[in-house]
Amino acid sequence: MPHQLAVTVRAPIAPGRKADVVQLLSDINRKGAASGPLPFAEMEGVHFARLFVIDDATDLEGRSLPASLVYMADIDAPLGRHWGELAAKAGPGLDEVFGRCADYPTEPVTPGARTAWLRGHSVASGAVYVNTVGRGLQQIRGEAWLREAIEDFLDDPSVSRARASATEVRAAVREFVASRPDLAWALRPPSPPSLGFRLREAAHKVCVPLVALLLSPLLLLALPVWGVLLRTHERRDAANRERPSLEHVRMLDRYEDHATQNPFTAVGLVKGGWFRQLTIRAVLYATNYGTRHLFARGNLAGVKTIHFARWVSIDDRRRVIFVSNYDGSLESYMDDFIDKVAWGLNAVFSNGSGYPATRWLVLDGAKDEQAFKNYLRRGQLPTQVWYSAYDTLTAHNVATNASLRAGLWADLTPDQTRDWLTLL
Amino acid sequence: MTIELDLPDIQGLVARGYGQLPHSRFLMLSVTDRAGAREALSRLLPQVTTADERPDATALNVAVTAHGLAALGVPDRVADGFPREFLAGMSDPHTSRLLGDLDGSAPEHWAWGGPATPPVDAALLTYAADAAALDRQCDALEQDVRSSGWRVAARLDTLPLQPDEPFGFHDGISQPLLEGLPRAAGRDATVRAGEFVLGYPNEYGKLTDRPLVDAGDDPAGVLAHNGGRDNRNDLGHNGSYLVARTLRQDVDGFWRWAREATRGSDGTSDEARAVALAAKVVGRWPSGASLVKTPEGDDPALADDNDFGYHHSDPHGFACPIGSHVRRANPRDALDPDPGSPESIAVSNRHRLLRRGRVYRNDDGETGLHFLCIGANLSRQFEFVQHTWLANPNFAGLYDDADPLVGPRAARGATFTAPGQPVRQRYRDLPRFVTVRGGAYLFLPGLRALSWIAGDHP
Repeated sequence: MPHQLAVTVRAPIAPGRKADVVQLLSDINRKGAASGPLPFAEMEGVHFARLFVIDDATDLEGRSLPASLVYMADIDAPLGRHWGELAAKAGPGLDEVFGRCADYPTEPVTPGARTAWLRGHSVASGAVYVNTVGRGLQQIRGEAWLREAIEDFLDDPSVSRARASATEVRAAVREFVASRPDLAWALRPPSPPSLGFRLREAAHKVCVPLVALLLSPLLLLALPVWGVLLRTHERRDAANRERPSLEHVRMLDRYEDHATQNPFTAVGLVKGGWFRQLTIRAVLYATNYGTRHLFARGNLAGVKTIHFARWVSIDDRRRVIFVSNYDGSLESYMDDFIDKVAWGLNAVFSNGSGYPATRWLVLDGAKDEQAFKNYLRRGQLPTQVWYSAYDTLTAHNVATNASLRAGLWADLTPDQTRDWLTLL
Repeated sequence: MTIELDLPDIQGLVARGYGQLPHSRFLMLSVTDRAGAREALSRLLPQVTTADERPDATALNVAVTAHGLAALGVPDRVADGFPREFLAGMSDPHTSRLLGDLDGSAPEHWAWGGPATPPVDAALLTYAADAAALDRQCDALEQDVRSSGWRVAARLDTLPLQPDEPFGFHDGISQPLLEGLPRAAGRDATVRAGEFVLGYPNEYGKLTDRPLVDAGDDPAGVLAHNGGRDNRNDLGHNGSYLVARTLRQDVDGFWRWAREATRGSDGTSDEARAVALAAKVVGRWPSGASLVKTPEGDDPALADDNDFGYHHSDPHGFACPIGSHVRRANPRDALDPDPGSPESIAVSNRHRLLRRGRVYRNDDGETGLHFLCIGANLSRQFEFVQHTWLANPNFAGLYDDADPLVGPRAARGATFTAPGQPVRQRYRDLPRFVTVRGGAYLFLPGLRALSWIAGDHP
């Protein structure tokens, strides 16, 4: 199975064209982003995709930041295939929306020119979270299909009534799966991501701590200085408890709670000065290490409802975009944050202007429930176009489906067999 | 850590459900004339029952909607301090999507509180020891308010208080115990006062946001100071939010379904099997006994035994299904993080509701619940429970199972899964048993706040 990649393309919108772009995106969203001008469902390996507009703004030093259009997708490798498919299958749609950006190629746009432009405007992520690394779209869809077939099979009263023990039921299920040519793949384990990817990840997992160890004398010397500076900043930084305006929240509401999952998109200014710049770079680096190697199996430090998330620094690192695809409502998502992973959010977001006051980077902060919720809501942007390839499945469901399939081919004890049947 | 509640300023319904006053009627009112309406409200003030009283004859509580605040002339600069969901109201399209109030439950079909019926500006919640006293109280109230700036938008009658809800199950057993009430003294397992009353620390140890009033808007100093460093007074202090919903219950349909679904392969029906399935759907036996305590059959001796969790005794839901109504309305220790732990219970405690509903039966036979619940944070409590726990087809790892008893049946969610050994039993295409017939988000102000609302506003 392929590993997953985070694609980001961002371009400034030509002066005076912002309203146009927003209107275009709303039209696309109304028609549904699975087909139409941006047919994500017709492209290989697109888990999630979105387009949104970041309004023009001024940074903390008063410099103006132009309005921009952002495309993001969570896809299966290889990247080249996605660029190619975007250019070929979504060509007219891309020309229409990105055509409002200042330097988009002029008509007629060839697929090659489109791809080159998209690549040229792609932005690297500071940190990426993938719920389960290496679980590709084909696997997720296949395992959902497998589950439905098994559930339907078990609904037949003659199947369950005739078999008293868990072992007998499982044997019947295996026999059923084996008898279906379209499901026979499920009796084998999924293939792992490519060898090259696994070697690269293994090397990264080992090398980063090694380098940190080599640098540790320096880091240890710097740590007390950093600590003193941190506390100085934390005492001085102004928190902003202000509620988001009702108009802003109403605009956001329109795009929320249409499916089992929701998109979250936010942008925030990084606090001024080199110290916060340094801190957020270090924290995002550590976050990326954590999400790649420690939280790559369905659990982001206790939060199990996120499919994909990423942090992207933009505008010479003066701003950071945070996006995620999560299960449930924003209220439940924010409560999860506060209850389970406040420390982690504090470490990143406390470098953002207006965040509730923290102590020692990870304490307090998000625990000020309403100040934190206001901060997220104020920074949130409407996700004007959003696509999910499996919008009725929670991350929990996806993981259960994978366990169900794994239990088909594994050797199970009678106890394990009973537990396996509770997945249904 | 114990706090002192200002009981004489808190409305009585927060502290008690008036079990001694079995008769009740809820009058939903619209403002017709601002000045008259304020005067009538001011006249009602001395009659409002407070939390330090234990009325044995009659009780009255008064709540207002966001629409009502505007109709009474509360300036936007003050009203804007209320939370978004209160201001938007229950019939707002996004709220409907969140609550699952779609199709037959959509606000356009409501008998009250929807876009097709008169606006609800205020509610008078009346209670009495006997039917005649209730009639006398309501007649006098109606006469008074109708002569002075109000009209009655809906009159919600209730049946005399009974232990069972219309489906036939003992109801109202598990209620959060509010910190600071006399009966909570010395008890564990209380919930912080700020979860239900504004102006006190909540389960996060913080004060929930409240609407604040500049001193200039309260020249007479009617309201309490907000306790912060600025000069604003607190309109929220000692107030709560009140959710009112009329939920029609299809009792015949529910039992017809339970009997059909448990019909034997030879076509015979068996009442015991039907009751057992109904109990799986509800999560308790008709007596109220928990399925966790007595999985095999009802045991009225355990009717009021509320001392149990789910995780350790029934992690897979073999006794009480994961998707059953009571297990999702109050999951106790069943959810992340770390099910079975105090942390899990602490998370559940941030989503508790004080329920104050009463059963109704109309002349045409329609029956159900005038559901009332109280909280300090509509989005984290009522809306969260309704959306994330009840209406959500994917609750706790389920796939297509909205609440089998009260959940919506929109495009998805019409499945009920009863875990079992060796394997689960799945019920498909459940009919809708509960339909929303009306509703409103109201503010149940403290007495001083009510007096300020009824006063003149520049």
